[in-house]
Parts: sequence; C-alpha cells; structure tokens
Amino acid sequence: MILMRLVTAAFCAFVALPLVWLAYAAFIPAEALVRANLATFGFSLENFAALHATGLWRAMGVSFAATGLVVAAQLAFGLGAAYAIRNGLRMLGLVMLLLALPSELLLVPLYRLLQGMALLDTIGALVVPFLASPLVVFLLLQALRRVPWEVVEAARLDGAGEVTIVHRVVAPILRPEMTATAVLAFAAHWNLVLYPRIMTTEALWTVQAFLTELLRARPFEWGLLGAAALVASLPLLVLYVAFEKRIIEVFESGFRS
Amino acid sequence: MTARAGGRARRLAGVRPRAFALALPAALAFVTFSIVPLLAVLRYATWRWSGTTEPVAVGAANLLRLLRDDALWSSLGTTVAFALIALPAFLTLSLAIALAIEGLRLERAIKALLFAPGLITVGGSAIAWYLLYNPDFGVVPELTGLILPWTSRPWAALLYVVLFTLWQQTGYGVLVTSAALRGIPREVKEAARVDGARDDQVRRLVVIPMLAPTLLFLTIIGTVISLQSYTAVYLLTRGGPFGSTRVLGYYLYETAFERYELGYGAAITLFVLAITLLVAYLQARILARRGAAEAST
Repeated sequence: MILMRLVTAAFCAFVALPLVWLAYAAFIPAEALVRANLATFGFSLENFAALHATGLWRAMGVSFAATGLVVAAQLAFGLGAAYAIRNGLRMLGLVMLLLALPSELLLVPLYRLLQGMALLDTIGALVVPFLASPLVVFLLLQALRRVPWEVVEAARLDGAGEVTIVHRVVAPILRPEMTATAVLAFAAHWNLVLYPRIMTTEALWTVQAFLTELLRARPFEWGLLGAAALVASLPLLVLYVAFEKRIIEVFESGFRS
Repeated sequence: MTARAGGRARRLAGVRPRAFALALPAALAFVTFSIVPLLAVLRYATWRWSGTTEPVAVGAANLLRLLRDDALWSSLGTTVAFALIALPAFLTLSLAIALAIEGLRLERAIKALLFAPGLITVGGSAIAWYLLYNPDFGVVPELTGLILPWTSRPWAALLYVVLFTLWQQTGYGVLVTSAALRGIPREVKEAARVDGARDDQVRRLVVIPMLAPTLLFLTIIGTVISLQSYTAVYLLTRGGPFGSTRVLGYYLYETAFERYELGYGAAITLFVLAITLLVAYLQARILARRGAAEAST
C-alpha cells in the first residue's frame, strides 16, 4: 500500500509539472530567451502583447467555429441515435466498432471523399465528417439507461410523438450528462492535430495546427510559446474546471458495466 | 395473427420501431463518413495517385510493395515495441493508483488532476513538454541534470513518446478502474475479512481478480491508443531520430501527405486495418474463452 501511494504521489507530480509550467512559462520575460538563464526568470505580460502579430486569434476563431458546430450536431444526432438504441434498434455493434477504429485509417479515404465533395480547404472539411460521434452516442446511451422509463411511457400515453419526447422529456432529464459529454466532444475535436493540417491550408489553420507551426518556426521564444500555449488551453481549462465533477461522474458511470 | 403477436411481444420488450427514425442522421453520418470511406480504400489502394493529379490504376502493385517495404515492417516493429512498453505501464499505473486513492479525501482532486492532460489543448501540452524536457536547454535538464536524450537516441525517443502518452491517457485508466472498484459489493470484501484475510490479502485475492474484465477492457483501449499514437509522434519527434519513433500511423501519414503517395497510403491503410482487426479478433477470443471458463465454474 505504501508503495502504491508513493507511485501515486510520484505520478501526480509528473502529471502536474507540465500543467504548472504551462501556467508559468507564459509570464517569462523575453530576456530569458535561448538558454534557460534562470536568473532572468521573472514576471512579464509582454508575451501576450506579442501574440497579436502571430495569427493565434484567427486560429482560435476557426477552432471555435468548427468545434462549436461539431459539438452541437454530435449532441443532437447522438441523442437521437442513443434514444433509438434504447428503444430496441440494433446499432450498438456499429457504434462500438467505430469506437475501436484507430483514427488514421480515415485520413486517405476522407481526403478523396472531401475532394469529390469540393470541401477540401473549406470549413466544411473540419465539420461535415464529424457530424456524429460514436463516443457521444455511447455515453448518452449509458446515461439513458439510468432514466426511469415510466417517464417516457407516461409521455407516450399522453400522446406525445417520439421527437417531442426526446426534445421535451429526455433532453431536460439528461442535461447534466449532455453538458459533460459536450465538454468531452469539444476536447476531442478541438485537439485534432493532423487531420486539419491535411484537409486545410494556412487560412483555415486550427489552434493545433497553429501551435505546432509556431513551435517549429520559433522554438527559442519561450515566453511567446508559453503564452500561446496558455491562451490556446484556456477555453478547455475553463470548461474542465467548471464541469470537472460532472465530467468525471459521467465518464465513470459510462464505463461501469 | 402472428404479426400481431410479434408486435405485442416487441412492445412488451420495449421495442419501438417508430423511435428508430431518430437514429437516421447519425447512422447516415457513420455510413457516409466512416463505413463507405473504409470500403473505398480497397479501390484507392490500386491507384498511383498524388492527391492532386488524376489517379492511375496500377492493379496490385501497391499491395505487393507492402511486402518488400522495409520501412513499413520496421514501423510495425516500432508500434509493437511502443505497445509492449506502454500497455503494461498503463495497466499497472491505472490499477495501483485506483487502489491507492480509493476512499482518500483527495480521491476526487487526484482524479481531476490525472484526467486533465487528456482534455487540455494538446498542442499546448507539446510545447510545455518541449520546453521542460529538451535535452539541450530544457528546464528539467538545466535544474536537475537529468537528461532523457530523446533528440539523439532511438530508445530515449520512443520512451519519450510513451511517457507523453501515459501522461495524457492514464487518467482514463484510473477512472475506469476506480469505477469498477466501486462496483464491487462491500459484503464481498467484508466476508473475506471475517474469514481472517488481511487488507493486502483482500486486495490480492479478492479485489484484483474481480477487476479482470476491467483490465481486459483497458487492454483493448490501450491497444487502440497505441495504434493511434501517431499524433503524439508528430507533435514530439516527427518519427525521428533515425525513424526510431515512426509508428504505423505516422508512416501512413508521412507516405500519403508528405511524400504525396496517397495510393500507397491507401495500401498502408489496409495493412493497419488488417492489424487492427487481427488484434481485435485475438482479444475477442480471449474474452470468449474467459466467459466460457466463468460459465463452467
């Protein structure tokens, strides 16, 4: 037990270090460039001012637009699919299969498909192939299985149609789970790295494409890199801190069985 | 008559065909953007195609090339090595940490911390790792003298990518294991204790065997994570040094989108798909055998 506690403590420190560094590096003054001259480490906001010229804001805008659209669609479509499966549709096998496929398998064929649809290098390339997510369907289905079904039966006896039931009865009950699932879906799409680089060019670079390019082009400008990394991480950090408890609950109960 | 009886039986079982239509948008999206593209790879694999020019049919040339492509087989070796280091570490850490924090006051905080790297902006994480662990001027080498030479040594580079992946993903493993721990009825553990078992014996002889299905599930998740480690490779090492971290997925990306051989990239896609299906089949057989063993006891 002592050994396991030590392992846990060491691993927690290992996990925390880059996160702490992320928060700190953004404030390193520009003199501390090139080598880790620790004497010059201090506090400065100049890095954030320097971000203006880099195109980070534009990349953030692209990422927010694409990821926002994707999350909305994934929740709507995912809830419909989960509800249908809960009502006896045999689609879970397909969902689990898609969940287990490594994502690189789709790079080449999606390139061809998007080329045929004239979507390459448009915002559509970042959105259309992601309208439905197997993970979202799976998590919402697990949440639906905990809903007392009498509520749905009662709505049916009152003559409500299936769409009305999902929209007016099921969705309000599942709001906490849908919020948490939305954050997970947001992170999954926001964090795509190679896919957006392949399907779009510089004008449509997402945050990840921008950050990898910044690191490649200016590897010695620590303060600037730190500030860019921190700003780019803030949306997810804020979402995570706000909904952390719910996210962990939904994730845990999703995998309990 | 039989149709009506069938209808009633279905209704009793909670089957509502009218609700099925609500799955249509998602099903359509899955078929159009996952299933159909995957099947179309079979055709693309017979092309010589740069991505921008018109494809030229070359028959089985790409598939034959797979067999004598040394870089492909060495990237398969790299992927296996990656999995052989990452998987045991992933399972051990998930289990040890989940057991260690069970019931602690800090349990929730620790889980929140460990889950965070998987969610925050991955490009930002890569920058933080680069500035912290760069052998030439990173903060950790400067302050402690501890250097992992991942820019020059093949073994260190692979280890570096593994460490980053563990950093990102172990939180998932801990959450899943911890959820399973909570599913073990308290009476089971208490019964063992009443029979005279010490705490560590309860853990070793009762709790861990009951977690076997969870650990198997995590093995499957870990395999998928290993097979798609190409993103971490791209962010950290771009396959280097000397191709030592060029995992299958990264080789696929490089071939198709940096050397613009998309036809051959499609052939590699088929190769990776075959490996994935083979691993999934083996894991399903292990699962089935376990299920049979449990049913007979």
